[in-house]
Amino acid sequence: MQELIQALVAGVLMGGIYALIGIGMTLIMGVMKIINLAHGELMMVAMYITYVLAQYFGLDPYFSLLIAMPSLFIIGVLIQKYLLNPLLKVDSILPENQVLMTVGVGMVLTEVMRFIFQADFKSVKTSYSSTAFYLGTISFNLPMVVAFGIAVALTICLFYFLLKTDVGKSIRATAQNKEAALLMGINAEKITVMTYGLGASLAAASGTLLLPIYYLFPSIGGPFTLKAFVITMLGGMGSTVGAIVGGVVLGVAESLGATYIKMGLKDSVAMFIFLLVLIFLPGGLKRLTKV
Amino acid sequence: MKKFFRFSLVLIMALALFAPTASFAQETIRVGIILPISGGQASFGEIEKNSFDIAMEEINGSGGINGKKIEFLYEDDTGRPDVARSAAEKLINKDKVAMLGGGYGSSETMAIAGVAQQNRMPFLINTGSDDKITEKGWDFVFRLNPYASEYFKGLESFLTEVVKPQTCAILYENTNFGTSQSKAFATACERLGIKVVMTEGYEKGGVDFKPLLINVKKANPDLIYMISYLMDASLLMRQSMELQLNPKMFIGGGAGFTLPEFPDNAGKASEKVMSVTLWYQSLPYPGALDYFTKYKERFKKNTEYHGAEAYSAAYVIADVLKRAKSLSPDDIKEALLATDMKTCFGPVKFVKVGDKINQNVLPTYVMQWIDGKGELVWPKEGAGKPYVYPVNWQKEWK
Repeated sequence: MQELIQALVAGVLMGGIYALIGIGMTLIMGVMKIINLAHGELMMVAMYITYVLAQYFGLDPYFSLLIAMPSLFIIGVLIQKYLLNPLLKVDSILPENQVLMTVGVGMVLTEVMRFIFQADFKSVKTSYSSTAFYLGTISFNLPMVVAFGIAVALTICLFYFLLKTDVGKSIRATAQNKEAALLMGINAEKITVMTYGLGASLAAASGTLLLPIYYLFPSIGGPFTLKAFVITMLGGMGSTVGAIVGGVVLGVAESLGATYIKMGLKDSVAMFIFLLVLIFLPGGLKRLTKV
Repeated sequence: MKKFFRFSLVLIMALALFAPTASFAQETIRVGIILPISGGQASFGEIEKNSFDIAMEEINGSGGINGKKIEFLYEDDTGRPDVARSAAEKLINKDKVAMLGGGYGSSETMAIAGVAQQNRMPFLINTGSDDKITEKGWDFVFRLNPYASEYFKGLESFLTEVVKPQTCAILYENTNFGTSQSKAFATACERLGIKVVMTEGYEKGGVDFKPLLINVKKANPDLIYMISYLMDASLLMRQSMELQLNPKMFIGGGAGFTLPEFPDNAGKASEKVMSVTLWYQSLPYPGALDYFTKYKERFKKNTEYHGAEAYSAAYVIADVLKRAKSLSPDDIKEALLATDMKTCFGPVKFVKVGDKINQNVLPTYVMQWIDGKGELVWPKEGAGKPYVYPVNWQKEWK
């Protein structure tokens, strides 16, 4: 019983961070109808920003959120504006080519970082990296809990933004029906740029939150892009609520899989769920919740 | 304008490709060294490359190889077997090296050894330790370091005389090095009457080892034996601390557990953790302490067994090239077979042991992290400090 609870706790906490990565991708998916395959790489760039700030300026990783998120927002805006949107204007190019472009962007980001920082593993050492507190015999890793808390707070802010503000409403409108949104006078191009920036800064947040627990190297992005992709599919493409549930489900599934099946098969568990969803629930959780 | 720019770019790239090969004069004897200089195993690559560099300067400073200078050409295997393979091919076919050295990760070393044997190119391994590498009957492949299933030979007497564990859990990274050593350790446990309650491999580079460690906690073994590279070793210990595991002893199977970066990354979770090791500066080998102080002075960092392996490999290579009748691969191979020298890593002689050929045989030791410093604690005769046992982990981790 104890190990079940411990596995659940570890899974849910990890799931919070996964959800944050997933929401970013799902937002982009919803508005642009493309899978952003540079998502993990954007996260990696944010981790390097945080790493540099911590290493050379002594900034606490949580404080760097305030710098990493806006920086990635700007990078995201630039990518969408100058690399992805121009592709839409050329009729002969299929819109799917935007996806290919994101793959390219991801590769360039990885190689640039490899060039600057070498392929070595870096880690940010904080006084609280391995602090834990205990409820009974169940241990809670402090940075994990903080990361989970911040992830929840950011998600709440995002929902407020999407539901209550003008821009947020425009994003949702564009996601639901682009033509109708255009007819209503929404500047769809501006909205796509905003959305990509927002998605990138959410990826930045998750990267920064992960850094005190994990470590960092240039090719770290790939596996996380994959995770975000699974979450997006699991949640139903474009559904933010779905992405949250999907993230937590993935975290818990990995944790339970590693505990009760085999640590080495952790990633296969995620892929197995992915296959099951594709076969039995092609629309993802969105089909059940309709949100 | 654009066309001109493109043209000049192509020209520059073409020049860059040909320039280095053209400018080399054949005054030096070139030896190819393949190490993980970047990537996950970069810390090991760095310590070994630094040691090769010191040795190269010393050898050239004292007359080189029969008047010629020796030059180590480094190639980066980035910790991946496919890259290691192409690095070996490049060194053999393009750079025309006299022989190969290096080889850190077992999977990479296996790949290099395969290429070396196919091309009949002598290859002196200094770290890659999977048992199988010297069991293939590859006569051009020689190994300076003990093989994986020998790593814990020195530990066995410590277990039977001091810890006397009843049960043991083995955690290992699931590539060649970890798999090979974990199998051998499980067999050794059986022989010593220790019950192995859990053996589990993991994919290196995990974020969260807690699911694995929860199962260890449930099994509650007397001994936890871990075979891990650097980052995994640190995370395993940090998370063991979080979950308040309480075995009689944590013991690492070399590799990540002996590097000076281990206490940096694991913090207080590294304290009193033991590891098997292949070398220590206080051992009565000629030049051992000398090498240690030189390294420390120059790089402001401690060195450990990986560095010593590389340093003495460089001297073995120099010795072999001096003795070889010519620089043809077959003559170098003959010279390698006739090797009998004392290095700072211990005596080197390539012999047949069981199924293994061209294998050097050396004793192994046990070290412990005491107050942030790696100390040799077993066997008692060579120990720098008395071992700390039993350990109250709760107190260490406060």
